[in-house]
Amino acid sequence: MASDKELADFLQSVETRAFKRSVYHVRDQEAALDIVQDSMLRLSEHYGDRPPEELPMLFQRILSNCTLDWFRRQKTRNALFSNLSDFEGSGEDGDFDLLEALVVNDGSQRTESAEETTSRGEILHEIEIEIQELPTRQREAFLMRYWEEMDVAETAAAMGCSEGSVKTHCSRAVRALAAALKAKGIQL
Amino acid sequence: MNRSIPITEAHLEDEFGERVAARLEAGARTLPADVSARLRSIRMQALSRRKVANVRARTASAVFGSGRSAVMTMGNGSGPGFWGRMASAIPLIALVAGLVTIHLVQAEDHLRELAEVDSDLLTDDLPPSAYTDPGFIEFLKHGLQQPER
Repeated sequence: MASDKELADFLQSVETRAFKRSVYHVRDQEAALDIVQDSMLRLSEHYGDRPPEELPMLFQRILSNCTLDWFRRQKTRNALFSNLSDFEGSGEDGDFDLLEALVVNDGSQRTESAEETTSRGEILHEIEIEIQELPTRQREAFLMRYWEEMDVAETAAAMGCSEGSVKTHCSRAVRALAAALKAKGIQL
Repeated sequence: MNRSIPITEAHLEDEFGERVAARLEAGARTLPADVSARLRSIRMQALSRRKVANVRARTASAVFGSGRSAVMTMGNGSGPGFWGRMASAIPLIALVAGLVTIHLVQAEDHLRELAEVDSDLLTDDLPPSAYTDPGFIEFLKHGLQQPER
């Protein structure tokens, strides 16, 4: 069972990312705070006696469920699914050349000089906009896999889907982000 | 040759995803102060809820443990048996017995005091001339009857 300090440290370590992820999902700061609050309370009240190594997975699952609950309450699920189908269609055309988009990034030192003329905050804002535009499942898989640094199996367990689906979601998300950012002239 | 391309693509995808995540992480470090304060308050609230649950659990386990140990000394441990129920009634029985004892002692003292007064009156010296005193005779006749009115 996790001690009070272990639970406190864990919540502190995930609160910022949980908030930002929720903002990307619901695009509403107050709603995102409510979702984080619900998630933390559920974890603390119902799973506070679990070992510390189980807390990350539990919290990711709870956060996803709370976000879904919020969408259900807002009755916007149909709109989300329509957006999802739009993105799924554009991601399957296969015309986008990922290698071409990413080869430029091999010289990361050179891009550092370009960043001096472009505000980091502005780039971050554009990235956040594109992440918000991703279909829900792609965004969820991408953020868990790369931002939360969960492996494919953990992401699949947290999302309640197969590992193959996680890989597909992540690949499509990366391709969509790379294409969108390249179209805006942003290189990472 | 064909197998190297998907591996390279997957590797590049991972690298790109990590770079995006690094940007997001850097941006998340600079949250507005009000949001940070709200998140801290949410965290504290969640921790306090857990503490309440802990206290309840600990209290329940402590009561259960002490009750079980008390029963274990008197019974077979399967639950509060006859002797266990009797033991729980001992304080009540002691209280009732104490009250009854106090009542009896006080009643005895009261009777003893009345007997002492009566004996003092009966054994006290009364001059014979007192019986010839008309006032004393009137006092005996009417003075004793007045309280009855």
